[in-house]
Amino acid sequence: MNRRTRRVGFLLLISVVALVSVPVSAEESAAAVAPVASHDQGWRMYHEGINPDGEPMQATVQGDIPVDGSMFTCASCHLRSGLGSLEGSVITLPTNWGYLSRPLVGSDMSDTARERLPDVHRQEEFRPAYDDQSLARALRLGKDPNGRVFDLVMPKYALDKAEMDTMIAYLKRLSAVHSPGATDTTLHFATVVAGDVDQDDQDAMLAVLEAHIRDHNSQVRHEDERKRRGPYYKQEKWDPYRRWQLDVWRLKGKPAGWPEQLADHYSKQPVFALIGGISDGEWRPIHDFCEKYEIPSLFPVTDLPVISDTDWYTVYFSKGAYQEGEAVARYLRRADESLRSSPVVQIYRDTPIGQAFARGFRETRKVVRMPAPAEHVLSGRKALTSKLLTKIVAQHPGSSLVLWVGPDDLGALAAFEGGTPPPVVFLSASLLGDAVTSVPDEARDFTLITHPTAFPADKARTRLAIERWLKIREIPLTNYELQANMYFVGWNLAGLVKMMRDEFYRDYFIDISDMMRDQDYAVGVYERLSFGPGQRYASKGCYLTALTAGPEPSLEKRSGWVVH
Amino acid sequence: MKNTKITPAARWTPKSGAGRAAILFIVASIAALVVAPCGAAPPYTTSTLTVELPDVTLIDQDAQLVTLRELVEGEEVVMVDFIFGTCTTICPILSAGFTNLQRRMGSGPGGPVLISFSIDPEHDSPEIMTKYLKRYRAQPGWYFLTGDRDDIDLVMHAFDAYVPDKMSHQPVTFIKGTAPNEWVKIDGLVSTADLTTELEKIRGGE
Repeated sequence: MNRRTRRVGFLLLISVVALVSVPVSAEESAAAVAPVASHDQGWRMYHEGINPDGEPMQATVQGDIPVDGSMFTCASCHLRSGLGSLEGSVITLPTNWGYLSRPLVGSDMSDTARERLPDVHRQEEFRPAYDDQSLARALRLGKDPNGRVFDLVMPKYALDKAEMDTMIAYLKRLSAVHSPGATDTTLHFATVVAGDVDQDDQDAMLAVLEAHIRDHNSQVRHEDERKRRGPYYKQEKWDPYRRWQLDVWRLKGKPAGWPEQLADHYSKQPVFALIGGISDGEWRPIHDFCEKYEIPSLFPVTDLPVISDTDWYTVYFSKGAYQEGEAVARYLRRADESLRSSPVVQIYRDTPIGQAFARGFRETRKVVRMPAPAEHVLSGRKALTSKLLTKIVAQHPGSSLVLWVGPDDLGALAAFEGGTPPPVVFLSASLLGDAVTSVPDEARDFTLITHPTAFPADKARTRLAIERWLKIREIPLTNYELQANMYFVGWNLAGLVKMMRDEFYRDYFIDISDMMRDQDYAVGVYERLSFGPGQRYASKGCYLTALTAGPEPSLEKRSGWVVH
Repeated sequence: MKNTKITPAARWTPKSGAGRAAILFIVASIAALVVAPCGAAPPYTTSTLTVELPDVTLIDQDAQLVTLRELVEGEEVVMVDFIFGTCTTICPILSAGFTNLQRRMGSGPGGPVLISFSIDPEHDSPEIMTKYLKRYRAQPGWYFLTGDRDDIDLVMHAFDAYVPDKMSHQPVTFIKGTAPNEWVKIDGLVSTADLTTELEKIRGGE
């Protein structure tokens, strides 16, 4: 039997097992790897609090507080997956049909595990299964099928019969079938390498991710056997165990062709989530694909994340280039009066990354209600010259300058030698890289530099831990920032999977990520990564720094962590 | 409002046999996290504490700098809670309670001063706070304050409500007392009737 035949046999076996163990129709299976259809009225009720007639749902909480669906929705508390939330001491329990439709016996152990219980350990039912009638009563009157009164935090909804039917029909579909990419044995993940990424960076990223996968799969102690033979009271611990499989999805050619390639990869092996990933340019095609197929994507490495308040499935380390532009605009809002009131010219190159920096500054100036900046776009690769800079400054006397330029453009700062400098010049440490120390001495007094990551000295201990982790696994340190970020991705993934237990729903996976505590442990690059429902950019601020004087300058913080 | 009649539920107290069964149920639920279709919060309690307000300047929903002591000093009725813009369960209920309180007690000059401190200051910008308050139909007199994390930490410590992480926060409301620096802490989610009762107790000197 050759490898291909064995693979086909394995896939067939898995397919048969899946068909036997999960009550899913062939149509549903096919639908699972298809783009998600548009949302219906039930979805809008649960997620947006809007009744089929377009009006907000009406309810009462705490006995006498009227609320409506424009304030909060079912999904606010039970979350997108319906699997509930945990916040402080307040626990919001599941509302998907898998839980509602079976009797409650004081444990969430699976039906199979429960059947194994010796009689003496079988618990009495706390409540019988819900049916349509008892569920309608629960939503309207706040009572379970036993008549037990819910905590008053659960709204009592004023729904007529048609609205109630719509809502219940949706709850029956909510997190009803495990997501694609999760089988009885394996959780499938993929990481994307998009475009012409430097080979060393590809290797650096993949080595760390694969080490995490290897650690998970090899450092287990016969979990498969334990699942089959372990004591019944440990089943909840052993049942969720799955091996991890990581595929590498390489996207070639122009971004316009990536969606088709992504769909092709996905049809060959559906994955539960994308982890990490790297692109030589934009990330939007992958982002949009994940939205379309509702696939979680955790922490791709890109300077060009998609900036959106509403998209759901991709969680980024930060807003990338956009965030530095945002930080400058917010810093100026809080600056002293003379600086705040001075006009601004921003100069950027006509490239995707130059545009992202400029867009972050421009859009945030509008948000904070400050005048739009004047703009000058540098075309091509020709360096910014001191002559051109002098001309621009002459056209905008008294203006502050925001220069989204690279190392080759720093010579232009000679334009200010012996003359009147602008109130302030902003540069980007991430655009300048190691050349940041080349800012001329005479320009340092009026130059501030965006610094969107933690200072290395503040992360020395974490760096030491990460370097030791790499060394033990014989992974060469070639790109610390990239490898430290992938180190976090693997560490984070292990935590999420553990929290997910055997609830293999992608929306729950993202819900859990949203409920994570803010992290600084295992974070080697950023100050801190923080999460929250719907928050998709984990590092949220930026320092403004300046170079010290002298031949061996270093960066010093000139602001706190700029977020407002 | 639709035709369906909404019946207010009686407050549940764990005295009966059914109550004991419910306690067992809640304990089991906490252990399993996933067994019933609603949340489980304890009844509220009150206590009195002394709060030395820190000398901090915060940022309100209009992006204006606000000195906390100036905001609170001289005001007769001040209530405080700790929330964040993307909170799941606790904050929506607390905020709906503030909405209803403003509806009943009025807003603006003469009305209660309501202060919601963000416990997610890195995310809660003035723009996000404005949207949040709009969702809750907030009227003048309701301030949503953010700022530097260190300053927010000082405020949380002052009210003995510090949590290292927003997801660990508790449903607490504070009402300014009549004695200097005296505040009454309401621990738990409450109805508007309960909130006004506690307020009347303070104003009545009980």
